[in-house]
This record gives sequence, C-alpha cells and structure tokens, in this order.
Amino acid sequence: MSARQDIRQQLNGYQEIKKEMEICQKYGQDYRNQKGLKAAVIDRLHPRQLELTVSEIITENTNTKTLRLTAPGRTLPAFLPGQYLSVTVQIDGIRTSRPYSISSSPAQTAYYDLTIGRVKDGFISNYLLDEVKVGDTLITSGPLGHFYHNPLFHGKKLVFLAGGTGITPFMSMIRTFTDQNLDLDMLLLYGCRSVKDALFLTELTERAQRHPNFKFELVLSEPAPGDQGRTGFIDANLIKEVVDDIGGATFYICGPSAMQKFCTSQLESLGVRRRAIRREAFMAPGDVLEDPAWPQDKSAEQPVTITVQRPSGEVLTIETRVGEPVLTALEKAGLIVPSACRTGECSMCRVKMTAGEVFQPSSALVRQSDRLLGYIHSCRAYPLSDLTLVIQ
Amino acid sequence: MTDFDVVVIGAGNGGLTAAASLTKAGIKTLLLERHNIPGGCATTFCRGRFEFEVALHQLSGFGQADNPGPLRGFLSQFGIPDRCEFLDMENLYRLVLPGQLDITLPANREGTTRALVERFPDDKEGIEGFIDLIYRTFFEYAAVFYQRDPEASAEKYPLMTKYSLQPTEQVMNEYFQNPLIKAALGMYWGYSGVPLSQLPFIDYASLYFSYLQWKPGYVRHGSQAMSNALLEYILANGGQARFNCGAKRILVENGRVTGVETDHGEVITAKAVISNASSIDTYVELIGEEHVPEEQFKILGGQTVGPSSLTIFVGLDCEPQEVGITETTNFIISDPDTDKQFAAFSRLDTDDDYLLVSCYNLDDPQASPPGTSQVCIVDLKYAEPWLTLSPSEYLQAKFTAADGVLKRVEQVFPGFRDHIEEIEVGTPLTHMRYLNSPGGAIYGFDQYAKNSNFFVSPTSPIKGLALAGAWSGPGGFQPSLTSGGSAARAIKRYLQQLEEGK
Repeated sequence: MSARQDIRQQLNGYQEIKKEMEICQKYGQDYRNQKGLKAAVIDRLHPRQLELTVSEIITENTNTKTLRLTAPGRTLPAFLPGQYLSVTVQIDGIRTSRPYSISSSPAQTAYYDLTIGRVKDGFISNYLLDEVKVGDTLITSGPLGHFYHNPLFHGKKLVFLAGGTGITPFMSMIRTFTDQNLDLDMLLLYGCRSVKDALFLTELTERAQRHPNFKFELVLSEPAPGDQGRTGFIDANLIKEVVDDIGGATFYICGPSAMQKFCTSQLESLGVRRRAIRREAFMAPGDVLEDPAWPQDKSAEQPVTITVQRPSGEVLTIETRVGEPVLTALEKAGLIVPSACRTGECSMCRVKMTAGEVFQPSSALVRQSDRLLGYIHSCRAYPLSDLTLVIQ
Repeated sequence: MTDFDVVVIGAGNGGLTAAASLTKAGIKTLLLERHNIPGGCATTFCRGRFEFEVALHQLSGFGQADNPGPLRGFLSQFGIPDRCEFLDMENLYRLVLPGQLDITLPANREGTTRALVERFPDDKEGIEGFIDLIYRTFFEYAAVFYQRDPEASAEKYPLMTKYSLQPTEQVMNEYFQNPLIKAALGMYWGYSGVPLSQLPFIDYASLYFSYLQWKPGYVRHGSQAMSNALLEYILANGGQARFNCGAKRILVENGRVTGVETDHGEVITAKAVISNASSIDTYVELIGEEHVPEEQFKILGGQTVGPSSLTIFVGLDCEPQEVGITETTNFIISDPDTDKQFAAFSRLDTDDDYLLVSCYNLDDPQASPPGTSQVCIVDLKYAEPWLTLSPSEYLQAKFTAADGVLKRVEQVFPGFRDHIEEIEVGTPLTHMRYLNSPGGAIYGFDQYAKNSNFFVSPTSPIKGLALAGAWSGPGGFQPSLTSGGSAARAIKRYLQQLEEGK
C-alpha cells in the first residue's frame, strides 16, 4: 500500500494538481445552499402529483361536462396541446385512475380543462360527472403523453380525425394554434352520431370563420332529421376528397378503438406512411374482445384467480374474470399500483407474473427483456388463466 | 436486531451491483428504488414499435469469452454473461468533420493504426509512436494499480510516472501537430466529458486501450436486460427490493448509520447503507448537514457538477444504409478543436456541437423491427442555461435545440429527417428528473484530474455508509458497475468489524 501511495505522489504534476484541488476546495461551492433546489426545478416542470381544485363545471351537453381545474398556491406546469392528466379517484374504497386529455390551451396557465363524456357503466366518468362539485379537490398527475404536434417531423399540414369525446386533445391544439396564429394548416374531421352529440360546435364554427387555416367537417353516423354535415364514417373516400396533399399531411386520430383501427386502415390504404399517422390510444376495457388477436375460445366472463405475493410474505387471492384487466382487479382488491396512461404504453403499472398466461394487445408496449422475464403492463393485461404475480 | 443488514438506495448500475455483491455474501439486503423499474441510466423505454436504449453506447472492458475484460470477470460472479447476450462492435467509430475528415477506426490496434496512417501518411511515425505509448503507459499503470506490484517505483514505471497526469493534448503534441489527427484519435474524450487539453493522459489511455483491446460491446435488448438480470440475481439470492419507493432520509446516530426513512415515511433499520444517489444528495438531502463533518462539504465543494446531455432518440422507418449510416458509432463535429467542442456544452444552441450518433442496428439487427433503425443522438450539455428558462420557453428550447442537431445530422446522413417515425428529446432537465442527479449530470462530477480517486477518496466519514455510482469515482457503465462491488466490499468489512465489536 505504501509503495502505491508513494508512487501516486511521484507522478509528474501530482503536487500542482493537489494544490489546485486545495484551492478549489477553499473557494469552491457550498452545496448545502442548493438544498431542495433540484426538487423545486423538477416539481415546476414535472410534479409527481397535483392537487387541483374544481373551480367551475361547464355543461357541454347532456352527457358531457368540462371540469375547470385550478391549482391554488402553485403554478400549473406547462404542457403541449394534446397531452393528458391521469386523474386518481377513490370511489367506494377503490383507488383507481383514468387519463383525460386537456382540452384547454396551454397559452394560459390559470387552469386546465378536462372535458368528460359519459361512458356507459363508466365507473369513473359517472363519478366525475355526477358526484364531483365545484370546490372539490382532484388528485392528478402532471401533464403526460406523446400525442402532440411535433414540429421536428410532423410538417405544417395537420389533419385531425376525432371520434366522439376524442375531440378533447384536438380542442387544445386548435385553440392553441389558432390563437397563436401559427403557420399551420389544420383540418378537423369530427365523427359523431348526430349534431347534438358534437361538442364545442359553436366555438369550432367561430374559429373556422376567423381563421382561414382551420377548417372542419362533421361526419355524422346517425344524423337526426335536419342535421347539417356529412354522413357515414371517416373513410378513405372522404379523406381523399377533403385532403388535397395526402402525402404531405400528418394525421392524428383520437377516438374509440374501433374508430382508430378503421381510420388507420383507411389511411394505410391511401398509402399514408406510418410516421404520418399519430394515435392517442383511447380504449374501454371491453374493446379488447374486438382485437383480432384475442383468443376466440375465451369468454370475458370466465372466472380466474390471481394470487399476489408480497415481499412481506403476505399472499393475496383475488377472484376476477378474463375480461377484466389485471390492474383493475388489483385495484378492486385494495392494492395500490401506480398507473397513468391505462393503455399499456407508459409502463407505470408494470408487475411481474411468475405463473399463468395473459393477453396483452399490441398497444401494450412491453420492453423485450421484460417480456422474457414475465413482466406485464397490468392495465392492458387480461388473465387468460389463473395467475401468480409478485408485487415488490 | 435491525430489519436489514444493509439498505441500498437506488437501483442504478452501482446500486444493483452493490446489492448483488451483498446478497451473494449472504448479507440481508433491501434495495430501494424510486422508479418502478431498475437500471437508472441503464434502461430502455418504448415508443410506437421501437424500444430505445437510454444510455449504453459502447460498453467498455467486457471483451469476449476467449478474451475476457475486467468487467466480464466482475459481472460473471452474478452470472450476467450467461443471462444476457453480449455483442461486439467491430469498429470504434466513424468521425465526420464535413469537408475535411471522414475516417473509421477498427476496434483493434493494427486496424486503427493502419486507418490513421493511410489517411495521414506523413505522420506515420508519430501515430505509431503515440499508439504504442497508450499501450505501454496503460500496462505500467495496470502493473501498479491492478496487479499491485509491491516494488512499484517511479524508476521502474517511468512512462506512467511521466504521463499519467499530463493533459492528453500535451502528450499528443510530442507525436503530431495536425489537429485532424488529434481529433481522429480523440473522439472518446466525450465519454469522460473533459476536453483533450485537460483530460489526464491515463484516463485517455485507459479508454482507448480498453476499447482497442476488448472491443466496444452492446447488450441485446439494451441495458435494461442487464439491469433486469442483476435484479433477478438479487431476488433469487434472498435479497429484497422495493420499487416506487425512494429514500427520504438516511438515519444517523452518533456518526453511525442506523437506517433509512422511505418516501412513504416508513423507518427501516439497518446496520449500513450504500447510497447510489449522488454524493451531493446523499450528504445534503438524505443525511443532513448536522450529521456531516464540515470537511466533507469542502471536499464536495471543490468539485463541479459534470455535463448532462441533450439526448435525441429516433426511430427511422428505413434501414440505416438507406440514409448512409454504415457504422454503429458516429461522431460529427464542426471543428477539430475539442476545447471549442467543450465550450458548446454551456450553450443552448446546438449549431456547432460535438455529436455522437449511435445506430445499434449495424451490430444488432434486432435493435428495432425489420426495415427500421434505432438511432440515439447525444449532445453533451450542462444544465445551467436550461435552468434559466421559464417552463414555456423550456418546451420551445427543447424543440429548437433538437432541430439544430437534426440539421447537422441531415448534413451527414441525407434523408434522415424524412424517415423519422418516432422521436423523443431528453434535455438536461429530463435527465435531472429521471436520474435525480444534480444538473442532470450523467458522469457525476466533472472528471478533471483533481476529482479523480488519485486525489479524492471515495470513502465516507459516516460509519456504515458507502457510496456507489458515478459520483463516487469515474462515470460511465464500467466504472459505475464496478463501484458497487467496491462499496459492497467496504460495507462487508464494516459489518465484520461490528461483529467483532469494534
């Protein structure tokens, strides 16, 4: 040891560097002064959690309301139009979360609008529409998601394909880009049942009148007598008719998964490249049964048992059914598993499966090494058999 | 009786190998990680049909089964070479200085020498002499510090004595003057973040020796595969791990570690703690100044937070060759002077930056789906200018900076931009968020000679505390992986002493 100690000090330049080190220590920084600063920087941009106050509830139509959310005592993080918040709720002792796109523009930082449509038998949407009052607090994530106009490669011609409440991220984009007079050419094809189901119609009409670079068309699947607009679905023929430079456009799809799949195939049939088709996964748990890869011999109602092993040695047994995502079953059993996107992409709800078989739709983006070791994204994993999970 | 013998805070490279080393020795260990996945830097993420490698570009010191490097030996104790598939890269890198230099160096001494002599025939002697010096200096260094020659002396090891602490550029000047040769033989400077004018020659020689001797390596399915395999080893050997569970405080009584309080407010008692958090966070945030000797803050204060990076992850909808990418590792520069390249670390703009463009598909066709390519662009940047931006300016600056980088890449790889199918941009603040490191630093402190373990001891003044990861020594995969082994050895000695009642 002493030999090495010696030789270290014999290295040419050793004494000079030692002196330099001493000077740096003498006149250097005091990192104690930076206590808490890093956490503040991170919290300003990407808070782990936001406590938002419902400051106003705007009725959009019989089944849709906008919750206007403010953050007393802090600045709301900036976001890109198209991003979402994951809202965590506790209902009847069950803690769960749902993603909702922000429909307001980030140009103002006073509030976030979440526009929520009623989902048939929707556990969360019914709660948010019927129970939440002005003055209530909602726990949410910070803004998340990758469904936004990316100037690095999306170009200037944007075509928005919206289905139903899938209009919400586009409202944020349209509001932002028209208000800021950005040099973008926007076309919205808005699919809904009938005119009375179309959200934000007055505002869309007004913005289209004021901004020649924004146009929109309603596409009605079940028009009521007297409804103005195109009828049918957003298909290749319609797109060909209304989009003049298909190769130069970027298409954004947000709507129910059946609509997404249909529109994607229509765009592909027109030769639109994959890079120009951007999708916000927007799925109801039951949609999985329509997935072409779903094993046809499996009934959603078939009962299965999930066994959960905890590091403490505790073992939980949960009775559920094939058609229910694993995460939902865990939440109903009172387990707290972090989650955000609930479409299988963000990996927050990743858990390890040591026995059993699950179905994960292709939209579940599971890392390859995770897949090999049995990790699943529980929000989009359906138990095809009894399962054993290890939750650390 | 404590809950655990040792709590390891953070499942980055150093935390994982520390926990693996402890569990291997039968020590009751708990690994805490604030994220939901192990790895820290050593991770991947998915976008669309791509899985992106976050940090691993060229693994050093791993080698092949018949030519094993030191890292292979170290990771073998945990069965990693059998649990993961390691791939070799055949070249060090291609360097492009548009209009002036375009050269590819093979990953072996003869090939690199030949490529350089072919391009710079007038400097044949200097190039050969310099490469020889890299080897001879490194061998001397290894004899003293790895093989621990008991009779080491300045006379016996003259090259090591003379050159180790000299700035690399000064050593190069003894052999050649052409700035293009210095650039061609200097591009790995970015793997330490210190320009050639200040990079200690021994750090430089170790880098080049390691890559020439053992070739750069890569892990199939990315570094996440290695992180996952290390966690598997820990759990299979009786270790425990908790994810989504960070540490709020390291508990210290009378100068001795007594446990950890988690973010959830739970107190876990332990005889010792290994912190894979940054040393600044460990002392300032986790332990608290009342328990830390003043001297320790002086040692920290003599060091400066190193660079972070603007990292751009790109999925292309074509094969690499279609846009002219023919090598896994590419450096693009606009000036051969590494001081100028380094100066750009402190600026927001990206017009002249030193860029690393890695395309994993060349050595691993499975790096992305057939007919596509996975590309990662690294542009080293300090966090400071990013910290002054308002949140909305920040979002804009991120796109502007990335746009500048893509223009430079497009110049060398025409058509690149038109093939982008997915892109994700990480700034120094993104790295700060995910790594929770000061300044989003990826190598820990600036790696100047005065900050090396020659001068700063990695040991802690708190009894029962050891540090692992880039902040306790050099940065990069190989050093941070092995740092966990050193931290575990120190803690094993400490536990032994406790047992003996010392």
